Amino acid sequence: MSAPTPRDDVMMNVMNLRPTLEVDRHDLLRLVRPRSLDSRPLISLRGVSRLYDGGAITALQNVDLQIDAGDCMAIVGASGSGKSSLVNMLCGIDHPSSGTVVWEGRPQRTRQDWAKLRRLSIGIVFQEFNLIPTLTALENVELALFGRGLSGSRRQARAATVLEYVGLQHRLNNLITRLSGGERQRVAIARAIVNAPALLIGDEPTGNLDSTSAANVAALMFRLCEDYGMTLVLVTHDEKLAARCPRQVRIKDGVIVEDTAIPDPLLELQGTA
Amino acid sequence: MNLVGLALRNLRRRPVRTGLSILGIGLAVGSALALIALSRSIKDSTQEGIDEMGDDLVVMQKGASDIFGGFIPEQMVEHIAAIRGVVRASGELFMFAPSAGHTSVLTLGWPDTSYLWKKVPLREGRVPQQGERHVAVLGEAAAASLGKKLGDELELVGETFRVIGIANYTTVVNRGLVLVPLADLQEASYRTRQVTMIHVNVDRGGGPAELSRVRSSIEALGNVTASTANDVLNNDRNFAILKAVSLAVSIIAVAIGALNVLTALVMATQERTREIGIFAAIGWSRTRIITSIVSEGVVMCAFGCILGELFSFAAALVFPHIPTIGDLISVKPHVAVIVPILLAAFALCIVGALLPAWRAAQLIPADALRRI
Repeated sequence: MSAPTPRDDVMMNVMNLRPTLEVDRHDLLRLVRPRSLDSRPLISLRGVSRLYDGGAITALQNVDLQIDAGDCMAIVGASGSGKSSLVNMLCGIDHPSSGTVVWEGRPQRTRQDWAKLRRLSIGIVFQEFNLIPTLTALENVELALFGRGLSGSRRQARAATVLEYVGLQHRLNNLITRLSGGERQRVAIARAIVNAPALLIGDEPTGNLDSTSAANVAALMFRLCEDYGMTLVLVTHDEKLAARCPRQVRIKDGVIVEDTAIPDPLLELQGTA
Repeated sequence: MNLVGLALRNLRRRPVRTGLSILGIGLAVGSALALIALSRSIKDSTQEGIDEMGDDLVVMQKGASDIFGGFIPEQMVEHIAAIRGVVRASGELFMFAPSAGHTSVLTLGWPDTSYLWKKVPLREGRVPQQGERHVAVLGEAAAASLGKKLGDELELVGETFRVIGIANYTTVVNRGLVLVPLADLQEASYRTRQVTMIHVNVDRGGGPAELSRVRSSIEALGNVTASTANDVLNNDRNFAILKAVSLAVSIIAVAIGALNVLTALVMATQERTREIGIFAAIGWSRTRIITSIVSEGVVMCAFGCILGELFSFAAALVFPHIPTIGDLISVKPHVAVIVPILLAAFALCIVGALLPAWRAAQLIPADALRRI
């Protein structure tokens, strides 16, 4: 592991801002826990299918997938292969037509369950940034802290600290519309990690960026995974980017056809149930 | 930033729509306030007019549906005056009497010997002498609206009266009065030896118990009711109808205001579907999403209510200067009128905001995020 950098100190400050919350201590422990000691399943998909138009379109077909805490994995596949549907299932912004999604051993069934998970434990970075254009960078990050029982000043302080971590301390009060694509995506990353989630999902996070910005954003996300043990799921069609992940899952026509963590004979059983 | 700050920011994004919605709410609230205040003011003005005459009790025909609707034999005045505890009593016939130029003026007829003549606050001229006929004393507003001064002639119910005095009553209703001898008005209106009501002053040393006893004694005379001025107006059918109509129209007006909120928020939430999807994607609960949208409705309602308040105060300032209104009533916005209207407006606006908010909260985040 590389030597701590000034940015690492900033990130630790994010954690230190939260000692009054029981859940924060839990988060902190989770983040500093060595990966080797924490290989239990974080999230699992069990026989998940997603059909659209009354079954006319099958986006996912009987998918089984287990992601352990601390994993750094890429989901790759061609356009329309089911990558986004899969990632939607992982973060609960869509519901399976059949099958179950299990988080830390507990099946997640209701929208309230998923909302709470996204609020506390899952951060999402979208290709389209999905930021509120009329708000500043600081306010966009602050939005993700609503419902955490923090005062307005603490929300702002924490959002500012995370924005500093992603290198946007000079852009705090800029409207999103005044930021470049790379800066917008860094705001999106800051929003995704401001609650120190256990799982960070990037859905084509570099897809709309120029090469330099894409490299910076990718580096930022990998550093979160490597330095803090944050579980990272990266959806991409960029093979080079995917190759940087220790685990790669390939999806085709809604079926997982390759998972570097699972021997092929076992994988062949998927999608046939 | 908090939910209200976010609501304000969102409303400012669409200034024209927000402005029009707030204007709609303002007009609705203002109309409701003005209507209710108007109907209340009519009653208040009438009561103030009766109070200015200094009555303890007002005697009317039993079962009369309104203050214009009953008639009592004039000799009843003597019977009432004879009751122990009654200091003085005076009959009064009143009507909206047609005058020249198709206008009607509230005209009161008092007996020559009535104590009420002695209480007229004359600005100029005099009151009728005993036996003097076809003379009139005008309230200042009546004199102004009829364009009459001392010595002028005035046509009432087909008879000609000479103006002999101008009275400066303080209440709006009394300022618009025309006072004439009772006999003249009885004759002109074919109500010979009849009065509409009897004013009664009671010995106030006896307190409420004495007032109650006198009241019972008067009612024992048969076919009459004795009430305080407030009771008379509370039981008046015309005022009840006026109040009911005003309330109904006000409810419709406020409901239209709520519809404005609903329309504005339905459109806003449709346009902001993706944004709502973002809120859901970062873990906002349904309750928070609903609260954020309802907050916009409440903020719009708050501004609309302030605007409505200003409209109603403007009405209160302008109406008295409109002769056909200002001569009869004074519009006074009152806390007892404002608070219920504002509460109703907020309640209806929240209901109006709940529908789009509920619809937004039902969205599947992935679907919402796909919207452009």
